[in-house]
Amino acid sequence: MFLKHLDLTTALRPAYLPDEALLFVQDNVGLYEGKYKLPNQQNGQVYLTSHRICYVDKEEPRKHSVALDLRDVDRYEFYAGFLKSSPKVTLVPKPLKKSSLYTRASAISSPNSARGHASSPGYADGPYRSSPEPALVANATWVCTICSFSNAVPSNFDPTTANLHTPLPPCLACGIKPTLAHVLKAAISNATSRPPAPASPVPSTNSIRSSFPTEGSHAPTPPLISSGTASIPDPSSDSTSRFQCPRCTFLNHPSLLSCEICGASLLSQNSAQLRGQGGSIRTESPGPVRNQSRGLDTAESIKVSFRGGGEKIFYERLKGSMIQRKWLLQGAPPVPKSARTIDENGAVVRSPLGEGTGRKKGVGIAGLEQRGLDIRKNNEVMIGSAFEDLDALMASAKEIVALAERFARQGNGGSGAAASEANTVLAESASQLGLVTTKDIVGGSSSERLYLSELARNLAEFLTDDARGVLRKAGGVINFVDLWAMFNRARGGVELVSPNDFEKAARMWEPLKLPVRLRTFKSGVMVVQSSDRTDETTIKSIRSWLADLREFPPDKEVPWNWHRFGRGVTARDAAERFGWSIGVAEEELEMAEERGILCREEGIEGLKFWENFLDPGAATRKPRRKVLAEPERILKALEETGFL
Amino acid sequence: MATTATTTTTPFEFPWEYSFPPFFTRQTNLTTHHAQLTKWSDLILAYCRHYRIFKLSLSAAIPSSTTTTTTTTTTTTAGATTSSPPGGTTATSGVGQAQTEELFHNRRLNRRLSLADAREVIDAMRRNGRAEYVGGKDGGDLVWVYWRTPEEWAALVEKWVDDTGQKGVVMTLYELTEGDGTKGTDFHGLDVELLLKALHVLAKRGKAQVFGQDDSQGVKFF
Repeated sequence: MFLKHLDLTTALRPAYLPDEALLFVQDNVGLYEGKYKLPNQQNGQVYLTSHRICYVDKEEPRKHSVALDLRDVDRYEFYAGFLKSSPKVTLVPKPLKKSSLYTRASAISSPNSARGHASSPGYADGPYRSSPEPALVANATWVCTICSFSNAVPSNFDPTTANLHTPLPPCLACGIKPTLAHVLKAAISNATSRPPAPASPVPSTNSIRSSFPTEGSHAPTPPLISSGTASIPDPSSDSTSRFQCPRCTFLNHPSLLSCEICGASLLSQNSAQLRGQGGSIRTESPGPVRNQSRGLDTAESIKVSFRGGGEKIFYERLKGSMIQRKWLLQGAPPVPKSARTIDENGAVVRSPLGEGTGRKKGVGIAGLEQRGLDIRKNNEVMIGSAFEDLDALMASAKEIVALAERFARQGNGGSGAAASEANTVLAESASQLGLVTTKDIVGGSSSERLYLSELARNLAEFLTDDARGVLRKAGGVINFVDLWAMFNRARGGVELVSPNDFEKAARMWEPLKLPVRLRTFKSGVMVVQSSDRTDETTIKSIRSWLADLREFPPDKEVPWNWHRFGRGVTARDAAERFGWSIGVAEEELEMAEERGILCREEGIEGLKFWENFLDPGAATRKPRRKVLAEPERILKALEETGFL
Repeated sequence: MATTATTTTTPFEFPWEYSFPPFFTRQTNLTTHHAQLTKWSDLILAYCRHYRIFKLSLSAAIPSSTTTTTTTTTTTTAGATTSSPPGGTTATSGVGQAQTEELFHNRRLNRRLSLADAREVIDAMRRNGRAEYVGGKDGGDLVWVYWRTPEEWAALVEKWVDDTGQKGVVMTLYELTEGDGTKGTDFHGLDVELLLKALHVLAKRGKAQVFGQDDSQGVKFF
């Protein structure tokens, strides 16, 4: 299925996958499938993330929101709009697995589409995989900057460990040594497009083709091309068509697996039909609505119609994320740890993985020291290789971040426990706030409003996140200013939100029906609380608390009848009891007083609040009468019926 | 200042709110404040009725105008001599002061109503016709507490005159309040000024005529 059901957060935003990053949001969009409008997805917001395109419906977000994995996208096209027709971005899904065994004829475009990324200008001169011959041939190539000859990346080249000392073979044609960055780029782009492979330090010798057919849901399909010897000609396609090499544009015979001229791999699929469809479906905006009875699993293209603008930025960002292909990072082979050391020459030497024999198993202090040494050495290598080059740094970003975090934690260990705890909380919240709403991820004509609504949702998620428990820790009520500070601190000092925007965003919670609300006390203090917490529930909890005080004797002798009156409570008491801040407690108590639930007593000990016994009209007496009335009523009824 | 003729043996029984600490703090909530004022005026009226206090001296009831807590404590110790306030003693003005002090000051709770708040209560009572400043319009120290209004006193006197068949009789005011004939009636021992107010009400209705001067005043009922 191309369109998948989408899980939403409490704030009705897409629930993000690990490492997923939000790139762009645009409201007022509709979805088409092929020529037809999807009836339930005609007004909503589209979220472009590094992994997916999510559509969140405005009317029925829980029911009609859908997502589309960029992984499944074969190609995407841009349509600028004409007259009444809105600008659209068409997303062509990858063909179903069945079609992958068909022809590779007449693939004029998208040479790498079968491998999950689309043609893009930025990638055009990038390295392509060499022909995946069954032998131990590296499947990555780098293009010489001098003579444009595509060389194979050496099979022993590992981007995770490569540094300046790594020996690089010169170009086979001109003999000029490539730069490390150049080869590294080629290797990384190859590695990232590689399907998840078992942890192996050496780039897998499996050809991409072999693992490709098993990637999808159609498991039973035999990996037909894996042998690299045969391909079945597509009966439906034009047999006379030739296969154009994506690199040198030579028209090869369809049955060839690699280009006759340059040796580039020739992989294709039947995108021709799909593209034909994609080209013809540009109809006017009030297009026909898709018949509901049809299943979603047809391999029709999906169009995102931008009725409120923003299509250009969306397209640019989509292009970017399709090039980056971050979804592959998750499946990338894990970084081999403590399996490499530096030899005498300073070159990285890799010891075989998975064995325990090579490692000295030290015991006691010597063992610990040895281990510490190993770890330090490992870190040295990692940092050394990472900072040599910006590309290399990007390649090993994950490890470096992890390392930095570990250093930070070690640094904290020395200082006070409280400080370190605060720092961890801060660091954690910062990392959890990965999906920040910034001004540049939203676009279109209504960008200000959209930004605020997205910020509001972002805030609501921040507040309701159970893992962080921002609201819970503050007793369900948090001072608005405190929240602002906390939120901006969690953003780590970048993309800070101005107080003005912050307040505007908070004011949008209620129209957006988010589970938090902004409340203004009569003194003007603004607090944030979850929307199920109303004044009534607060009053209820205050009253049950005061009722408890009537049950249990006070700490010291009191001159009044505590059985009847309980005792007075200060804002401090309330703050302690409910976990509120003092300011909030004051406001809540005054709110209860305003409602006639409490009355005040100003004395030497400060302002205290009591249950309101002064005003019989207030709720205090009514429930009592009811309680009293109940047994009386029963007695009366018993008397009437003659039992008594 | 307050004069009582009959001796009261039982001490005044304070209502429950008297031992409720917030009762002594001015409430900010309007409805609660209203209820508080009502409760206070009820308390003052009941208290004055019990001890037959007609004129209340605010300065005596709330000594040293309760500006600071230190003066409050000193007056508390000063007043401690009359720690059993109501007693069975014949009410004199001195006892009245000790008694009225207890009205606004709950010694057990160590809570007291401030003068300003007390004046607010008096103002509320004035609006209901249950109190009046002696002499002036507002302000002043002495307050009439009308647990019976002059009209009610007048009705009482008129009824007594009717019942005892004293129409057309001339009486002195002293006879009315202290004489043997009125013993057992409510207005026996009534403050003379208040009696005059009541008689003036009757005079306005043409039921009586007040004549004479100063302490030798008389009244004739019609």
